[in-house]
Formats: sequence, structure tokens, C-alpha cells
Amino acid sequence: MNNIRRRYVPFMKAGIQNLVIYRLNFLGFVIGGLIYCFVMFYLWKAVFDSNGGGAFLGFSMTDMVIYLFLSNTTGQLIFSGVSNDVGEEIRDGSITMRLLKPVNTDLSYMFTELGTVMMKLVVLLLPMILGLETYRYFISGALMFSPVNFLIYLMSAVLAYIISFRVNLCFGFIAFYVKNLWGIGILKNSVINFLSGSLIPLAFMPDGLRVCLEYLPFASMSYTPVMIYMGKYGTYEMLFRIGIQIVWAILMYGLSKLIWFGSIKKLCIQGG
Amino acid sequence: MIYAEHLRKEFKKTIKDPGLKGSFKALFKPKKEIVVAAKDVSFHVPEGEILGFIGPNGAGKSTVIKMLTGILTPTSGECRINGKIPTNDRKKYVREIGAVFGQRTQLWWDLPLQETYNVLKEIYEVDDESFKKRMAFLSEVLELDKFIRSPVRTLSLGQRMRADIAASMLHSPKVLFLDEPTIGLDVVVKDNIRQAIMKLNKEEKTTVILTTHDISDIELLCDRIVMIDKGKNVYDGSLHELRENFGQTRELVFETVDPKALTEEKFRKGLTLDESDLEIKKENNSFRVRFNSKKLPVGEMLSYTLSLTKVKDISVKDADVEEIIRSLYRQGVTADE
Amino acid sequence: MRRIWKIYRLLAAQNLKRIMEYRADFLTGAVSFLIDQAVGIAFIFIIFTQIPQLSGFTFPQILFIYGFSQIPKGLDHLLTDNLWCVGYFIVRKGDFDKYLIRPINPLFHVIAETFQVDAVGELIVGFGLLIYASPDAGLHITVWTVLLSVIAVPFAALIYTSLKIMTSALAFWMKSSGFIIQMVYGMNEFSKYPTTIYSLPVRIFVTYIIPFAFTGYYLSQYILTGNDPWFNIGGVIVISSVLFVISIFIWNKGISAYESAGA
Repeated sequence: MNNIRRRYVPFMKAGIQNLVIYRLNFLGFVIGGLIYCFVMFYLWKAVFDSNGGGAFLGFSMTDMVIYLFLSNTTGQLIFSGVSNDVGEEIRDGSITMRLLKPVNTDLSYMFTELGTVMMKLVVLLLPMILGLETYRYFISGALMFSPVNFLIYLMSAVLAYIISFRVNLCFGFIAFYVKNLWGIGILKNSVINFLSGSLIPLAFMPDGLRVCLEYLPFASMSYTPVMIYMGKYGTYEMLFRIGIQIVWAILMYGLSKLIWFGSIKKLCIQGG
Repeated sequence: MIYAEHLRKEFKKTIKDPGLKGSFKALFKPKKEIVVAAKDVSFHVPEGEILGFIGPNGAGKSTVIKMLTGILTPTSGECRINGKIPTNDRKKYVREIGAVFGQRTQLWWDLPLQETYNVLKEIYEVDDESFKKRMAFLSEVLELDKFIRSPVRTLSLGQRMRADIAASMLHSPKVLFLDEPTIGLDVVVKDNIRQAIMKLNKEEKTTVILTTHDISDIELLCDRIVMIDKGKNVYDGSLHELRENFGQTRELVFETVDPKALTEEKFRKGLTLDESDLEIKKENNSFRVRFNSKKLPVGEMLSYTLSLTKVKDISVKDADVEEIIRSLYRQGVTADE
Repeated sequence: MRRIWKIYRLLAAQNLKRIMEYRADFLTGAVSFLIDQAVGIAFIFIIFTQIPQLSGFTFPQILFIYGFSQIPKGLDHLLTDNLWCVGYFIVRKGDFDKYLIRPINPLFHVIAETFQVDAVGELIVGFGLLIYASPDAGLHITVWTVLLSVIAVPFAALIYTSLKIMTSALAFWMKSSGFIIQMVYGMNEFSKYPTTIYSLPVRIFVTYIIPFAFTGYYLSQYILTGNDPWFNIGGVIVISSVLFVISIFIWNKGISAYESAGA
């Protein structure tokens, strides 16, 4: 354990510094996300108003606000840039350099990213929670923050991050076959946005589709933790959903390893 | 033809303290610093001359070239080429110049080389007749025939450089700026490119300003050199003159069998050289002697050393630009603050 | 003018040749944007399975507005995509040098160099929705509404282009302005839906500050209702022209502040 710490902490620090160096890009990302949330907020407000103002499929407008902003923030938090990094390295061939280092390849990526994730937790998630709870307090007149739900949310978010990291790792390997990573990136983001419920809560989708999506790994990436935070799940369902997350984390881990070893072989055949 | 008067260029730069703490500080309060890339550079080039514009790394050569080509706007000072001020009259001005920056290409990366020339023909409004003649002339001088149909990304560095020079000469510019045209090339290709530059200069009276780190480029091509350091002129004259005055330093490196046989003391005592004319460095088995060859011919130095011990290997280093600048400093001829 | 057109054609042809060489990549790009659009429409569709009207607009009307908003967006995307690269890396890496030593306008040169086929995703969806939604959207079709709406489209695209010119030009001072382009460009989300759903400050913001409302809602408003051509169409033309003049001014200032790279 100590050994791991010594070897990977430098990667983590590098991750934090990266975020600082690219702070303006990060800021742009955050503000872009917020703008998007606001557009969605007004859209949903119009939807709720058109629907007579009451609850809509079990969501009140307050719920909707919390859902929108928290799922966006969770999305930012568990965002993994590893698909771009791997993709770039495959394209310019520097991936071979990574293979030469005496560290586990995916762990080195992961620790670099964990640095930025921690920063985001402090500068993004905590203020957002504070803001949302203040909002909820003013609307409902009572403090509704549940520390237990928050802790389980964090746990579930960690699982979500692991899944997101693995899914993105697999996506990165597409670079072996396609050059237009940027186009693929757009495709990936819009598909994930839709399937993970961050665009529209899965609860609103037609039943058949909803059930399907709830079992896919994408729901585990943001829908599950957000619903847990909002207290939409009972104890039994909560455990069940986290169970699904764990299963997906393991499956995606296996899949990424499989592709990774396959790709290394390909690398060897191509001669790097 | 080309006048540069007191050119000065400042850049703003954000600086960051090292470490995590520094990163955090930079997150909230980035520090700005003004960097002066060119302090005060002046020179004048008559028509048809090849001028070697030299200086150590970071002296501000590229900055000056970029001001002359109109890419950068000078903070103060003025340049005038053919009576035009580059940044004021850009569109007209750039018709009269060609520029090659050794580190980057202006060719269309994914397309066959010929396509780049076809596009440039339109951009520079070269008529069909002159374009044909021009292409024939350039492909002869620069030997483009072998790769003119290949996509640019598949060209070797030397081919790409030749192609880039041709691209910058397509519209028969009066002035050609070459920033490190031989960087990273092997000797044969270097020679090839030098021949081409010489031919263009002779046959078309093209004025050439050239920066380089390679002293042979200058020796073979340049009528005159302007040397700058730390953003200021330090020398303006012929290379021959510079050599005469400051470039007499030679460096000999001896690989010895017995490292103890050569000592600084023996050299200081055995040779009639002043303190400042001799410099000695010892590393493991190699023994470096740097000395003024005007005071002591290279042959004498060799025979003296050989008389002291058995030598496995000898290498002789010619004075390069850095070396000349070092000697300029030693003799205190640099422009002061 | 003839020369400009000739050079544009030539540069665009070079670009098309490149596209042909990397067919698969460009196909991926176009398909990606198409799917991105499909997801947006699925979203509207799902909402309308639950409610009959949104702020007084029917499903076809909302689709019409959404579709119309994608046409100027796609047009700008098709023609001026290289501005993103100016903001993200052309200036930072010093590659802008090239444009300054050519005897044509650098802005024109940058724009003419890329022809972004990915944009067909937006254009297909835009036109597709217009065709699909028109019969049921209750359009107010006269010679004038159709003519003026068509004339207004390039001006609406010019709003996108001007905002991109302005924000990418900031890179001349800041080295990289990609994130600002991203931020401002991202506000086009506001143009997809009726501006009436926003609160007053937001409405003022998207009408007069970052005027994306003109690229979607107001633009489609005239042909939907036949009302207010002066504001809906005239506004697009005036605002886009003003914005364009400002953007050119900023761009030119930026060029003289350009620092190249590597000093």
C-alpha cells in the first residue's frame, strides 16, 4: 500500500497541477454546464407550468432543479478524459512510452485523474450541494439535507467514477481503428448523456425503455447516485442499485483489460 | 532596401512558482512579467546581399525576423523594406517577400506538393505563363521533380525544406527571409540547399536574410553578418573580419592512454600563451585545450602535446557562432546595458 | 471580389480532396452530429408524450423552431469551423504566422481553409424537421414571409460567425481562448426553444447581449405568425451586422497584438 502511494502520488499531484494550468478551460466547462442547466431549468419550468404546476411523474419542480444541477455536477465530477488521453497517445504512438514505465498503465492514468476529481469535489460539488440545499430550504422552509444520503451518494459516485473511467478507457481504444476522435467524442457524450439520464430523468421515459436503461452501465454513471441523494430509493432498492453498480464496475474492468491486452498484441504486431 | 531602426519587442508572460503551492497561487493571482525579446536592433541591407543574421539561442533573432516579415508589430522602432512598413501595408508588402521558417511548414500537409503550388499561384496572382517558367526554374534548382506528386506528409525533412523554399519563391519575391533553413538536415542536403540559395541570389538578385546556427552556412553564403545577443546588436561586418578579430579560438580534444600525463601546469609553463589565450578542461581520459590560434599555430600545439604523451584520438573543433560570441565577451566588445 | 471567390473555391476544393482521403473520419463526424441531434429531438418527443402544449406551442411548432434554429448553426459550422482552431491552438502554437505572410485577408484565409462536413448532421436535421413539422405547425405562408425568412438565414448564421470571430480573436491576447468560444457558443442552447419560456433578464440577455434568440426563435416567429417583420427579421439583420462590425474591429486589434510563438 505504501509502495502504491509512493509510486502513484506524483501522478495525482500532476493531475491537480494540470487542472490549475488549464483552469480557464475548466472554468469554461463548468460555466458551459451551468448555462445548459439553466436552459433545461427554464424548459422544465415551462413543462411543469404547462402541466398545471403540480408534480410531474413523481417529481416536483424543486426535485427537478436538484436533479438537473446535481446530475450535471455529478457528470462533471465523474467525467473521465482518459478516452482522449489514450486516443491521443495511440495516435501519436507515445503509448509505447507508457508501456515502458514500471507502473501499472491504467492505474497511472487513473491517479492522474483522481487529482482533478478531488479538486472538483472541493471546488464544484461542495458549493453546489450548499447552493442546492439553500435553495431547497427557501422553497420548502425546512432543512432537508440528509448526511446519510450524502455519504451513500459519495460512495455510489466513487463506483460511478470507476465505471466511467473504464467505459472511457474502452472508448479510447477506438483510436486504433478511427482517426476522428473528436467526432467520436461528441457521439460518446451525447449517447452517454441520454442513456445515463442526465438529459432527462429515466423515470420520465416510456416503461420498457426505462427498465432497459436502468440495467445498462450508463444509469450507474450518474442516475443512481443522484437518485440516492434525492432519497428517491428505499433501503432495499438502494442496495440493489449499488449492487448493479458493483457488477458493472467489475464487468467494465474485465472488458477494458481484455481490450488492453488485445491492443498490446496489435501494437507488437504493428511494431509500435 | 531593408532598414531596421531601433527595433524593440516586449512580450507579457505569466509566471508560476514551482510546486503545488505555486499552482494554487497562480490559480487566483497570476503574476505577469514583461520579457524583452528584442531590445534595440538596427541594421541596413542593400539590394542583392545575403545577410547572415546570427546570435545565440534566445538572442531575439526570430523575433526580429518576425517583425521584418510583418508577423509581429514592433513595440517601438521601425522597419522599412522597399519603402514599406510591413504591418501597415501588409497585403501589398507580403507580395514582395518570401519567408521560410525552418521549424514549421506552409505546405498543405495532406495533399500532393503540386497542389500547394497551384493554390499559392492563385493567392499571389501569378499568371499561367510566369507560373510555368517559375516552376521549371524552381524544380531544376531545388530538384523537386522526384517528389512533387507525393503528399507533403510523406516528404523527408530535406525534401520538405526544399519544397518550402520553392513555395516562398514562387511569386519572385525581392526579399527572402530564411529562419534556420538547414536545421536538422544532414551534410549533403545542407549543401544542396545552400547551392539553391546561392543560385537564387545570383540569378534573380534576391536579397536574402538568413538566420542559422551553422557557421558553414554563413561561410559559404553570406556577404556580411549581423550578430545580436540579448536583443542588441553586437557586431556588424564581414565574417572574415570577425574571424580575424575574435574567431581565432580553436579547440583540441585529446584522448590519452595515461590521464596523468597531461596537466594544466605543463601547458601553462611549456607554452608561451597568455592567461586569457588558453583554457583547459579535463574530463576522465579526455583533455580539452582551447586556445588562440593566432598566437600559437594549431600544428605547434599538436606537436607539443604529442611530445608529452601517447594520444589515442584527437578531434579539432572549429569556432562556431557560440564560440565567437564567447570570445567577443572575453574581449569586452559587447554592447553594454 | 472575383478573385476572392476563385481563391475560396480553390481552398475549398483542396479541403474536399482531403476529406475524400479521410472519408471514414468525416463520415464518423457527420454521423456523430446526426446522433447528437437525434438525442435532442428524442428529448422533446419524450416531453410531449406527457404534455400537449409547451407555453402555448404545439409539438410541431416546437419542432419547427428547433429545426429552424439548426440551419444557421449548421451553415456557420459548415463554413467557419477553423475559427475554433484559432482559439484553441493556431495562435498558441504560432501557426498563425502563415496567414500573415500571404497577400490575402488573414480572416478570410483562415475561414476559407476549412469546410466542415460534420455540419451536414445539423443541416439534415434542421431541414428534416422543417419539412416534417411544416404541415402541422400552422405556418403563415406568403411570398413575403418565405422570402424574408430565407434572406434572414445567412444573417442569423453571421451572428454565430461574429461571436466566434470575437471570441477566437481573444486568443491573440490570451494565447488560448478556446474555453471562451466554448462558453459563448454553448449559449446557442437558448436558441432551440421559444424565448418566452425564459425569465425577463435571460430573455434580454439572449436577445441583446449574446443574441442567439435571433438565430432560432425570432427567426422562426415571422413565418409562424406573420407578425413583427421589423423586429423578427429586421432585428436579425441589424444585430448581426452590428455584431460583425464589432467582431472585425476586435479581430484587427488582435492581429497587431499577436505574439507568435517561441519568441
